Amino acid sequence: MPQAFDYQKQNLPPIKSLRHAPREEMYLPGHRTCAGCGPALNYRLVAKAAGKDTIFIGPTGCMYVANASYLCTPYAVSWIHAQITNGGAVGSGIEAAYKILARKKKYDGPFPNIIVMAGDGGSVDIGLQAMSALMYRGHDVLFICYDNESYANTGIQTSPTTPYGANTTFTPPGKMIPEGKTLFPKDPPQLVIGGHPLVKYVATTCISYPVDLMNKVRKALNYDGPSFLHMLSPCPKGWKFDEKLSLEMGRLAVDTGMWTLYEWENGVYKYSRLPKKYKPVGDYMKFQGRFSHLKAEHIAKMQAFVDEKIQRIKAIAVEAPIPTPKKKAR
Amino acid sequence: MAIKVPKEREVPFGAITPAPVGQQDLFMTSNWRIVRPVIDNEKCTRCFICYASCPDSCWSYNEKEDQMEWNWKFCKGCQICIYECPSDALSAVAELDFEDGVVRLEKPF
Amino acid sequence: MAKELMLSGCAAAAQGAKFAEVEVICSYPIRPYTAIMMELSRMVANGELDAEFVHGEGEHAQVSVVLGASAAGARAYTGSSGVGVTYAFEVYSPAAGGRYPLQMAIADRTLDPPGDFGSEHTDAMSARDQGWLMGWASTPQEVFDNTLINYRVGEDQQVMLPQFVCQDGYFLSHIPDKVVLPDIAQVREFLPPYSAPHPLSTTCPVSHGPQIKPDQGAVMDAQRASTFLIVPEVIEKAVADYNRIFKRNIPPFIEKYKMDDAEVAFFIMGAHANTCKKAIDQMRAQGLKAGMVRPRWVRPWPTKQIAEAFQNVKAIASVETSTSYGGAMRGGNLVHELRATLYDLEKRPLVTSFMAGLGGDVILFEDFHFMAKILNQMVKEKKTSKHVYWIGFEED
Repeated sequence: MPQAFDYQKQNLPPIKSLRHAPREEMYLPGHRTCAGCGPALNYRLVAKAAGKDTIFIGPTGCMYVANASYLCTPYAVSWIHAQITNGGAVGSGIEAAYKILARKKKYDGPFPNIIVMAGDGGSVDIGLQAMSALMYRGHDVLFICYDNESYANTGIQTSPTTPYGANTTFTPPGKMIPEGKTLFPKDPPQLVIGGHPLVKYVATTCISYPVDLMNKVRKALNYDGPSFLHMLSPCPKGWKFDEKLSLEMGRLAVDTGMWTLYEWENGVYKYSRLPKKYKPVGDYMKFQGRFSHLKAEHIAKMQAFVDEKIQRIKAIAVEAPIPTPKKKAR
Repeated sequence: MAIKVPKEREVPFGAITPAPVGQQDLFMTSNWRIVRPVIDNEKCTRCFICYASCPDSCWSYNEKEDQMEWNWKFCKGCQICIYECPSDALSAVAELDFEDGVVRLEKPF
Repeated sequence: MAKELMLSGCAAAAQGAKFAEVEVICSYPIRPYTAIMMELSRMVANGELDAEFVHGEGEHAQVSVVLGASAAGARAYTGSSGVGVTYAFEVYSPAAGGRYPLQMAIADRTLDPPGDFGSEHTDAMSARDQGWLMGWASTPQEVFDNTLINYRVGEDQQVMLPQFVCQDGYFLSHIPDKVVLPDIAQVREFLPPYSAPHPLSTTCPVSHGPQIKPDQGAVMDAQRASTFLIVPEVIEKAVADYNRIFKRNIPPFIEKYKMDDAEVAFFIMGAHANTCKKAIDQMRAQGLKAGMVRPRWVRPWPTKQIAEAFQNVKAIASVETSTSYGGAMRGGNLVHELRATLYDLEKRPLVTSFMAGLGGDVILFEDFHFMAKILNQMVKEKKTSKHVYWIGFEED
């Protein structure tokens, strides 16, 4: 691409606490997402952190169909629907357009935050090609994978991030396949970290830690080039838990090691919240109907998978927490 | 030769709609809930956790009154805020206990 | 100062994009259109053209990237051939329904299986129902002209539709012919800058493409159909301006060759029309009153103009350079549209079709003479005894 030039990139300051977060909502009330929807809360926090000079790309998924029905959306900023296949590509095109418009002085405002909000399918399954190409080409775009661990919008089918042992409508447990899902999931941040030379920032987040989440969004946006965020988005309908427990599920995911909060910045790993002592995975899985068919041997398999992950983390972990509000112990 | 489209069914050009301002009134969801969160302002410590936990942005902080305000139009009654509140300031009360409970929408959805 | 060069169709397309001052280009290699992108990348690298040149990861991505660019307010350009055209299929309707006036150059190519580099119109023709403007050029000059004309028509505020600018692979894309390049000032007079009505903006936020209500699906279709009712008058005005500014004499909808007193005629699209015209000269020398109609547009189909041109003709040979397996006539798809066009004429000409120029085949003079022989037979017998002939497979 032509030489670098000053295209008036924004620089978003870190958010000190919930009180200090911008009050303005960019993801407004008035959408058809389920009560207690994790991805919706995710969207809200991302939009809040990004601010008004933002353009969202919404590949088909829950965060399209549930948000944008009918003939109305909850986005206070510009937003465009993309196919589930091409979130990364449409985002690339918008970024290229703004670059040329800025260079030709047809646009002289702050360079918009261009954010692709793709589900797990739209990020690492059918949308993988477009996501990877965006990372490779180095567009100044933030690609977010809001992970509810299934193709939720079409009625909860398995996706590459669905955990082992989950009951989905494409992996129902039965006599021949007692655990339901037999495959272990892909690791989206590792896919990005593993081979895209222009990516400088990759991080994971969880809605249970909103200040951490919003600061990671800002950090990612502030980098000149592509960034990737993997955001755990508990799904009451898909995971089959009481909707008031959405944030509890996020905390338990982190406490059991099922989800690891970390940043990868210019080759260095920083962990945001490492439990001193991990809870057993059963403490997380027992709340979720998608795991209720599992026997002890399956849970043990899951525990072994998580234990191996923990060992790898312990070998390189550097804990660098981003402040989250103190919460009274329950 | 032109095709007549009934005005009320018209689709805007390219299916492009203006962004909403403040809230999306075309999709009120208040009639989803069967309980609503009720706040005890004495117990509330203004920690902002309810504000940060709501997928539907139904809690906001009123600077002037120094209290949290609840958006009746959109609350789906998911009870995340009630569960998350660290000071027991929120409780779930049956929607039918309120005169304006189980709100009827003017239009479907 | 007008410059005359010998350019292949691909080079002419690249020049067209350059003169149109396209802003976002998305490339992906596939024969035979690749040369367009190679040419454009050279222009960007040496500063001849200031554009964002994005290396797409595939044809589906190409159309997606330029869709995003167009939505953001930039003039966008891409292209493909053969199975690349069909790979991008998912995005065609979103581009047209979303009203993004991007342009896709297609140098056509036979579809797999198996890999076959030869020219055939089936690839682009199979996308003709997706709501884009579409037409074939027959010379490199026309490729250049069509590039500019299509942007002008597509970006018209009443139209706002994407365009397929098609040319025969190899025959047009790779064989040079004379092209007159204009002044950039003339082009700027003809083609105003792209002005998206509701771009993705930070100051005036919009939502592109929320789900429509359940009773609006047909409405959306009807609205898209309505736009095509306006397109012909936009084309007419655009071509009139083109002729005025560039001192040319391009017919807006169809090219007619020796049709005034024609008794039999050929209906043919693309570069093979050049051979056809020469064959017609030979026929005329032998006393046969033959003529040719070449549609410059597939969408919008120039129904009125084609019907008018053929109204006094006794027999028509539709030269099918694309396939429609199992279709009504069991041959190609051009003849279906032609027969629909002629159906309401008081005196319906006899129509037959000839499968020719498929899989990269050249259509020879003798093939056109064979077709003329059949047409003469039809006129004598006053009927069409066969609806589809396969050139090269029929007994003489």
